[in-house]
Amino acid sequence: MELYLQFGFGMMEHCRHLLSEWGGGTVVLSPRDLNDKQLRSLAADVAGIQGGKTLLDPQFYVPHADHDRLCAHSFWPADFGSGSFFDGPEMEALVRQVVELNEDLGTEAIILPGTIANPVDDLWIAHHQSILTRARDLTGDSKVYVTLALGADTVRDRAQVNILLEAATSWNADGYYIVCEHPNGDYLVRDAIWLAHVLDLTAGLRLARARVILGYCNHQMLVARVAGANAICSGTWMNVRSFPPEKFHKDYDDEIRRRATWYYCPQALSEFKIPFLDVAHEQGVLELMKPPSELDGGYVPQLFSGVQPSSVRLSEQAAFRHYLHALRGQAQALEAEGYDEARHQHGETLDDAERLLSTLRSNGVLGANRDFTDSLDVNRAALALLDRQRGPILRRRWASFG
Amino acid sequence: MIHLGRSQVDLTWLAHEFPDLTDLKAIATGGQKQVFAACHATEGEVVVKLMHPGTDPARTERELAAASRVQAPRMPRIFEHGRLTTNTGTIIWFREQRIPGQALSDRIQVGPLSFHELLRLALHVSETLVAAEAVSIVHRDVKPANIIVDPQGEFWLIDFGVARHLDLESLTATAAMGGCGTVGYAPAEQCRNLKPDIDARADLFALGVTLYEAATCCNPHIEGARDQMEVIRRASTQQLPRLAPPLSEDFADLVVTLTQPNLVHRCQTALEAYEWIRELCEREGVQ
Repeated sequence: MELYLQFGFGMMEHCRHLLSEWGGGTVVLSPRDLNDKQLRSLAADVAGIQGGKTLLDPQFYVPHADHDRLCAHSFWPADFGSGSFFDGPEMEALVRQVVELNEDLGTEAIILPGTIANPVDDLWIAHHQSILTRARDLTGDSKVYVTLALGADTVRDRAQVNILLEAATSWNADGYYIVCEHPNGDYLVRDAIWLAHVLDLTAGLRLARARVILGYCNHQMLVARVAGANAICSGTWMNVRSFPPEKFHKDYDDEIRRRATWYYCPQALSEFKIPFLDVAHEQGVLELMKPPSELDGGYVPQLFSGVQPSSVRLSEQAAFRHYLHALRGQAQALEAEGYDEARHQHGETLDDAERLLSTLRSNGVLGANRDFTDSLDVNRAALALLDRQRGPILRRRWASFG
Repeated sequence: MIHLGRSQVDLTWLAHEFPDLTDLKAIATGGQKQVFAACHATEGEVVVKLMHPGTDPARTERELAAASRVQAPRMPRIFEHGRLTTNTGTIIWFREQRIPGQALSDRIQVGPLSFHELLRLALHVSETLVAAEAVSIVHRDVKPANIIVDPQGEFWLIDFGVARHLDLESLTATAAMGGCGTVGYAPAEQCRNLKPDIDARADLFALGVTLYEAATCCNPHIEGARDQMEVIRRASTQQLPRLAPPLSEDFADLVVTLTQPNLVHRCQTALEAYEWIRELCEREGVQ
């Protein structure tokens, strides 16, 4: 499974640096965070890096959004009349301009505009099918991905997931870009049914021979590989590691104002504020939190140099790059030969994390709302559901996923 | 002259109406028809089906159309059909090939099928379902009583009496809870008569339950259920227990997938299921 960089606030340099370090990779461009000139400039920079690729997330999730930079893009409709927009020339103009912008940027595939479904109903399905049909007329051989943006309640609802699967598996899309709002605004999801349904949707679409990219993810979605996902997208701040639809409004309270530096301990699937690394240091368990060499991009060696971690002043930049480097390593390590192996691998990752978190907790090293402890069983339960409902067919079809 | 009563046809009268038939005997009576075995002068062993007077002729025509459109090697051929006018109304009849052997439901009374027999059952029935799928027909009543095992050990799917033509308007009232088919074998979407959701996956569910029953002589959806509502509830919400060795893990996987309560979790087409079954058969050397 691949990790794509989900572009967010202040990620321009991170993208250039990481793709250069990695020898390639994919950046999902964000019109909310890049004006037209910046979009073109970054896309050109990425294209100039060996193996560098881009996708453009048109972020049409909330058509009534009023975020200044997003709405200033030329593809954004000047007037969104929800009654007739999707049946008339406005939708055609939107699709045409998104296609043209993708062509200008040289993206790897075209992610189509999609509105957030709350709920999935006949109208929503008809709109998205119309967008796809129109795009097919315009795109020739380009790969086309349909956006499936889903509200938290929609994801939790079995009937709506069924309706979506029944509709989407009959569409002629090359892939799906799935964006799911987390329940209760949680960063790490504590709702097993929500996660199980995301996995089910992923598996259902993969079994229908489409590619699946999951947008706005954090490390909890590493589990998506067991459902056959092709890629997860993640970035720096929490609002690109989960999907808050309200971020497309101008009055969104950016978390960037509440800056704190977090260290991601990949083997614990958890992040810790630096003062808690000081606790780990004093308790003699800091070494357990050191990233394994295969996930270590060399961004955090000073934390483990033997001095008090807070004294080395880990930069926000290094913390973000470490997170993304480690997450990419974890995603790529999930190249299992078969479904059972993939499931077993993720199960072991959870077990290892549980043991380490237990040790850390007993030593007073806590990750607050980024501690994975409460999500361990969520992932296990979601996997159990996936296995019960789709395990046999995933086992049989795994090799065809490519 | 036909005698009154939905299933009381006089054999003398019948022999008079069908002079080229001999050895007529009644073999079954269903909700819509009475079935007779006979010998035909040129076509050999045949079955004559007389629809009860008042039976919806459109449904009968659908059955005839289904039987003639589905091109599968193991489903009975229809030789002839027509109408008889009686003093109780018009009766539609048709004469079809009689498959020698016994119903799978009777065979299961003796004991479970062997693994190779189960694979053949899966292969032969799925082959017919693929042929039905190719012409947009759903059988809707796959069950042991509608499968004949012949003396060569081949499995024939019979009775397309409640088949649904997906490209034609449904003949089952939308409000008819339970729809068509047989409770205990029909999946949730069929029991609830959710017409847009009924397609080949409904038949695959029924085939999966049939395979399970043929392997264990038990249908857990029906066994010990208080009433039909409980059977429907079980089929709608509960997965069957996993089949245990000596049946192979792969076969158990197949049955688990076919019998998923939620249609999105089953094989999505009859062809997909057939290819899976064919692979299992090839692996086990089953022709």
